[in-house]
Amino acid sequence: MEWAAKNFDFVLQLSVAHLLISLVPLFLGSVFAFALVRLTPARLAGTIGTTFSAIYAIPSLAIFVALPAVIGTSYLGPTNVVIALSVYVAASMFFSTRDAFGQVPKPAVFIARAQGLSPLQLFVHVELPLAIPGLIAGLRVAAASTVSMASIGAIVGVRNLGYLFLDGFQRKIPEEILTGLFAIFLIGIAMDIGLMALGRVLTPWTRRSAQRV
Amino acid sequence: MFSIGELFDWLTDPENWAGRYGLANLFLEHLTLTLVSLAIAGLLAIPIGIAIGQSGRGESLVIAISSASRAIPTMGLMFALVMLMGVEFRQFAVVLALVSIAIPPVLAGAYAGIKSVPIAIREGARAQGMTTWQQIRHVGLPLSAPSMVGGFKIAYLQVVSTVVLAPLVGLGGLGFGIIQGLALRDFAQLTGSALVIVLLSITGERLLAKVQSKLVRRLIH
Repeated sequence: MEWAAKNFDFVLQLSVAHLLISLVPLFLGSVFAFALVRLTPARLAGTIGTTFSAIYAIPSLAIFVALPAVIGTSYLGPTNVVIALSVYVAASMFFSTRDAFGQVPKPAVFIARAQGLSPLQLFVHVELPLAIPGLIAGLRVAAASTVSMASIGAIVGVRNLGYLFLDGFQRKIPEEILTGLFAIFLIGIAMDIGLMALGRVLTPWTRRSAQRV
Repeated sequence: MFSIGELFDWLTDPENWAGRYGLANLFLEHLTLTLVSLAIAGLLAIPIGIAIGQSGRGESLVIAISSASRAIPTMGLMFALVMLMGVEFRQFAVVLALVSIAIPPVLAGAYAGIKSVPIAIREGARAQGMTTWQQIRHVGLPLSAPSMVGGFKIAYLQVVSTVVLAPLVGLGGLGFGIIQGLALRDFAQLTGSALVIVLLSITGERLLAKVQSKLVRRLIH
């Protein structure tokens, strides 16, 4: 506790960096997965799915250091980590996005079409709202693993909460490691609560019907 | 910088495969650490998962464990355990960390498998006069095997990728080449080791996925 109190500003600074390096990939990866699900022809879905589940199997440190050889980025620094984490998010969000839209009841889509909604209106007013619970559930899983995986970025020189593990181990300060663990846990919980709240705000009808019953 | 040719040269140089820190030995260490941890996790989590699925008691425990475990960084867990147990016991500490990483998915797989057995089948087994043990042995286990293998598949991936970090606390495994390659700016060693790690994780995942689909097919026929 003493260590954490003495180094509070430093931990806070690392926490902000950690949050940023988790949020950016979460956003980029989800948008990419969404585009893939909605815009690629259905016959490619199988190939994309197989590719993503293979990528998902690769340990993160291996991706961080293999990316420079594949795309020519520099070995150290946040670029590889952001790209790699985005690909992981895309890999997991591809499946949850596909399932979320797949679970939209067909009658709802047919009725909307029969009422004369344009494809855009159908998407904005029917499909997207009904897919939100599935999308949020997928995002919660992706967020938790991204926040914890981001710490491995410290090994390739990214300053985030993972740095506390490396530094604490080298300098033999257990409190430093525990502070890192606790801070990452807190960020994960905070993001989870945030996403749950977002889901609730975006689907007001689920609450109303629950109250009536 | 380095080229694909250099990577190929590094991977095909027998010198990089032999010795204490050669790829062959590091590969074996990586695999051993992974399999030992998965085996211990299985011995602990499968019976508990079955018991919870069968009795319906303690279900909230499974959910709490699996959601809390996702928020804990495996790297920090390993470092903290080695630090707290002492560097001389790092082998135990690392295995303990790996076992606790593997338990949640294995537990969830066993629990979900037993839970997914349709009520009619369960009741049918009981109505035929099967004892609880017979119900588990002849009905629960075969029907939930695919789900259990699925749990092991997730655990395998997480354990294999955490073992990559073991060299940072003084153990071996294929991560050694990455950590040393980073320190020495030896990009051929770095990328070569990463490639072998990728092969190990993808091959294992494919293998377990194949077992899983085979088990499912056996149930359908």
